Amino acid sequence: MREALYYARRYPLGVAGALILIAFVVTAVFANVIAPYDPLTTNARFSLAPPSRHFLIGADMMGRDMLSRMIHGARISLAVALGATCIGSGLGAILGLTSGYIGGWFDLIVQRIAEIMQALPLLVMALVITASLGPSLVNTIIAIAIPLIPNVARVIRANVLSLRELNYVEAARAVGMRGRRIALVHVFPNTIAPLIVLATAQLGSTILTEASLSFLGLGVPEPYPSWGRMLSDSAAEYLRSAPWLVIFPGVAISLVVFGANLFGDALRDILDPRQGD
Amino acid sequence: MHASRPWLALVCLLASIATANAQTKGGTLRVTHRDNPPSASILEEATISTDMPFMAVFNNLVVFDPASDLNRLDRVVPELATSWALSDNDRTLTFQLRDGVTWHDGKPFTSADVKCTWDMLTGKVAGKMRKNPRKTWWFNIKDVATDGDNKVVFHLFDPQPSIMAMFAGGFSPVYPCHVPANEMRTHPIGTGPFMFDSFKQNESIRLVRNPHYWKPGLPYLDAIEYTIIANRSTMILAMATGKFDLTFTAELTPELMKGLQEQAPSLQCIMQATNTQGNLLVNRERPPFDNEQIRKAMVLSIDRKAFSDILSRGVYEIGGANMAPPEGFWGWSKAYLETVPGYGADVEKSREEGRRIMKSLGYGPDNLLQLKVTTRNIPDYRDAAVILIDHLKSIYIQGELDPVDTSVWYARLARKDYSVGMNVQGTGIDDPDVQFFENYLCGSERNYTSYCNADLEKKFHEQSQMKDIDIRRKLVWDIDKQLQEDGARPVVYQGKGGTCWWPRVHNIRIARNTIYNHWRFEDVWLDQ
Amino acid sequence: MFQYILRRLGLMVLTLFGVSVAIFVLLRIVPGNIADILFDSAGMVDPVEKQQIVKDLGLDLPLVTQYAHWIGGLARGDLGYSYVSEKPVLDEILPRIPITARLAGLALLFAVCAGVPFGVISAVRQNTGLDYLLRLISLAALSMPSFWLGLLVLMAFVNWFGILPIYDKAPPTWGAAILMYGVPAATVGFRSSALIMRLTRSSMLEVLRQDYVRTARSKGLSEPAVTFIHALRNAVLPVITTIGIETAFLFGGLIVTETVFNIPGVARFLVEAIRWRDYPMVQNLVMFIAVIVVLVNLIVDLAYMFVDPRIRLRA
Repeated sequence: MREALYYARRYPLGVAGALILIAFVVTAVFANVIAPYDPLTTNARFSLAPPSRHFLIGADMMGRDMLSRMIHGARISLAVALGATCIGSGLGAILGLTSGYIGGWFDLIVQRIAEIMQALPLLVMALVITASLGPSLVNTIIAIAIPLIPNVARVIRANVLSLRELNYVEAARAVGMRGRRIALVHVFPNTIAPLIVLATAQLGSTILTEASLSFLGLGVPEPYPSWGRMLSDSAAEYLRSAPWLVIFPGVAISLVVFGANLFGDALRDILDPRQGD
Repeated sequence: MHASRPWLALVCLLASIATANAQTKGGTLRVTHRDNPPSASILEEATISTDMPFMAVFNNLVVFDPASDLNRLDRVVPELATSWALSDNDRTLTFQLRDGVTWHDGKPFTSADVKCTWDMLTGKVAGKMRKNPRKTWWFNIKDVATDGDNKVVFHLFDPQPSIMAMFAGGFSPVYPCHVPANEMRTHPIGTGPFMFDSFKQNESIRLVRNPHYWKPGLPYLDAIEYTIIANRSTMILAMATGKFDLTFTAELTPELMKGLQEQAPSLQCIMQATNTQGNLLVNRERPPFDNEQIRKAMVLSIDRKAFSDILSRGVYEIGGANMAPPEGFWGWSKAYLETVPGYGADVEKSREEGRRIMKSLGYGPDNLLQLKVTTRNIPDYRDAAVILIDHLKSIYIQGELDPVDTSVWYARLARKDYSVGMNVQGTGIDDPDVQFFENYLCGSERNYTSYCNADLEKKFHEQSQMKDIDIRRKLVWDIDKQLQEDGARPVVYQGKGGTCWWPRVHNIRIARNTIYNHWRFEDVWLDQ
Repeated sequence: MFQYILRRLGLMVLTLFGVSVAIFVLLRIVPGNIADILFDSAGMVDPVEKQQIVKDLGLDLPLVTQYAHWIGGLARGDLGYSYVSEKPVLDEILPRIPITARLAGLALLFAVCAGVPFGVISAVRQNTGLDYLLRLISLAALSMPSFWLGLLVLMAFVNWFGILPIYDKAPPTWGAAILMYGVPAATVGFRSSALIMRLTRSSMLEVLRQDYVRTARSKGLSEPAVTFIHALRNAVLPVITTIGIETAFLFGGLIVTETVFNIPGVARFLVEAIRWRDYPMVQNLVMFIAVIVVLVNLIVDLAYMFVDPRIRLRA
């Protein structure tokens, strides 16, 4: 606890980021309680209603309360971001660890596959994946997670390679420790820090990728209130008559990604001072 | 400009007469376009994306009078045909063709070209076109014969007054015999006021003036250019800042049209009935919709006014299969509408009855019927489906949206791989022959739900042969009512869309009951 | 050195081969093909006509045969015909490449010209108010969805200046042409500039702490000289790496920006081609993009070696 306070005082920006993220997660988890209305109920009478006492930030084209949709949208964004980051970083870490540690032809193949995946444009890959699987929440998560894998794998692999050379690993081997034990005790714990840094860095970009996918018409389908899709084409047409449709989801996305970046920066400074500042 | 203000029309008429001699030649008309036409061949496509830009390249045999803002059977005027006559108990239709018309590549136009075109369309000559979407229109043509270079004779199986409407619609241009179909898809040759210049995929379509057009002195414009802007918000901004002269037909929702007029008050705008319908596709072979009670309950739960209000601020019309008045000629009157079940004004009462039906089948607030509502994954379709799902809640049905990629939509429909689908479709002409035969005939490819009612089909043919328009309309109303009662393909709304142009464009005359006509632009001129 | 380049080129060919197989397979996993889409606009499917189209386009041949046809054609320089426009793929791609290239080039230029100086300033004035401000702004730039930014920029231009900087085939004035490319390029480059600024800053800081800088200072060189001559040279390394990585990410930003600003470039075209399942177009475009990405990576690695002699020795 004292350690946390120590870090908090040294990295106020990181604390700000963490607070934003906590607010985001709380909103997402307790959406049902916080939201004033059901985000899915359409009501023709209130179509495009401006902000008022009833609809604090207005209503959309279908008469659905924007505030409730924004609050429930946090849930969707959180699900996509967490899901994609965990799956992508997790799989990438496993690949990076094994290929870095085992080496040999396995490593060579994995490296080549990673290079191939990185040569394909990110959005194009996500596009093709959602087009083939169909637009749904799960498929969006998969489509965003897959391009993350090669990035994470490469970084973790580089980390493992550098760790292998370290003296204490050699010493452990000299003493007679078996390979697997070395991996678990020495190598693996030291990759957690860069992995966490990488994962938090990816968190922001997964949210942005989901927004782009929705803007292009893929991604999370109706009627789930996804921030990204609220920003899509049909909302932007009402930029003049109903600007609240476009401003608030955009601000929400930017704010959450901003918080994630602030927090990620601070985390990187704490855990991996070599890289930094 | 709401066209139901007669004084405004009179002023416009007087103004146009006064300025009739003040047309200036030259200039390029810049029009926005909304998406990439699949090809440049009107006969092979059914989408307005191809019809609007390329209509100026062609002529028809006859055409709906461009000076009139309503496409009606009694307003058909000559184009490539100078006159026509019925004989032989109305089973033979003879067209007298115009002299001295040439194709854009210089070759002369003859009756052989007409025969080629309709042999292709009726399927007598196979393997030329990739697709033939309107083959059903020409079911009544037995054969086509030429009688010299200037006369062509159509032999029909039965009398069919509406066949003139089909010849007059925008989707019935005459094609040249000597140009292969694949060239017509990329570099079309016609007899029309403008010649094809270029078609850049996803970018632009450009037409230039035909200097040898058979109407002397026309067209006035030098060129017409369509620029494809897929992003609607960008398109609206571009229109407001004057980068374009005319919007693509019926692109603007009432909300957007209002917004555009606020930004640019001198813009002229008109709301058109597009002859597109939002309708429900109900798979009668798949439970639970094999049970006709559930079908009935579903139809009772729909609040058509809500669809119209949400999607169009109340501008969309409510009607049956045929377009509602005042724009549509064959749709029900307000009085008749009230007699059709499910169309009554008291929505809550209908929903009460729907709930009663569902309860009798064992469903209730604790036992919801779960199903998927399938629709195409584009905003117009999705929005309608979301509203539908909301309405179904009122009769204990829990719907989940199942958006389907465009590429597999029709394949899934053909496979009957759906329970309920939300569909939006357009029909080329406001005519009951077109409406009934395309969409409700047994075995027609556009009859997605495979609705098949032999008795009703007899009535389709009966009305098709009637000459007296008022008697015919009465029968059409009854057929339409029965289609809705059967739940063949419940119509939820009839669409409208707005078109706007700057006042520097003169002589734009847009039809109010179709979007598929009046795009030759032959007497349109620009202020220089 | 020469051997290294040869080895890298060999690996490049292997990677590209892998990419070709990957995109070939991915495209065919996606349900629906061009025949389905063509009928979509007709509102119905006629099975006989559809079968004919499939046969005409060779879509019923075994997959391996189709792949062989494609690769064989590629080797000869024949990229095949587009299913939709029925024109040679090369005719469609070639005119669009310069437009996107100009946009990407301008975006990178903007990113470097804005990012590097601000990064240096931020590093030199570390922990001052200016530093914090610049860091916050760059972080905000990285947090905004690029199409949202694009829409806001368009609205701002229309409301404040009354002009719309979207693509025009024949821009009337030099000013219009500059705006037409400059505004979308700046929108896309904004994000990259933030990244470059942060990287420049952190690597500058690291370098400024190094021993040899202290040595140079002790030798009596003036402060600015120390900064710019010695520190910058080493600090430029991560920037070069970023340019390599960003090239791939830039494409995603270009797709949405080209859509918003209505620019008929390669990025937007690729998305449309995917929608139409126009296999020849998508396959060849993706290969083209992959070649660019891999080439840029190679150049970046070579530049890296050139700037940092230690790496050269290791290779």
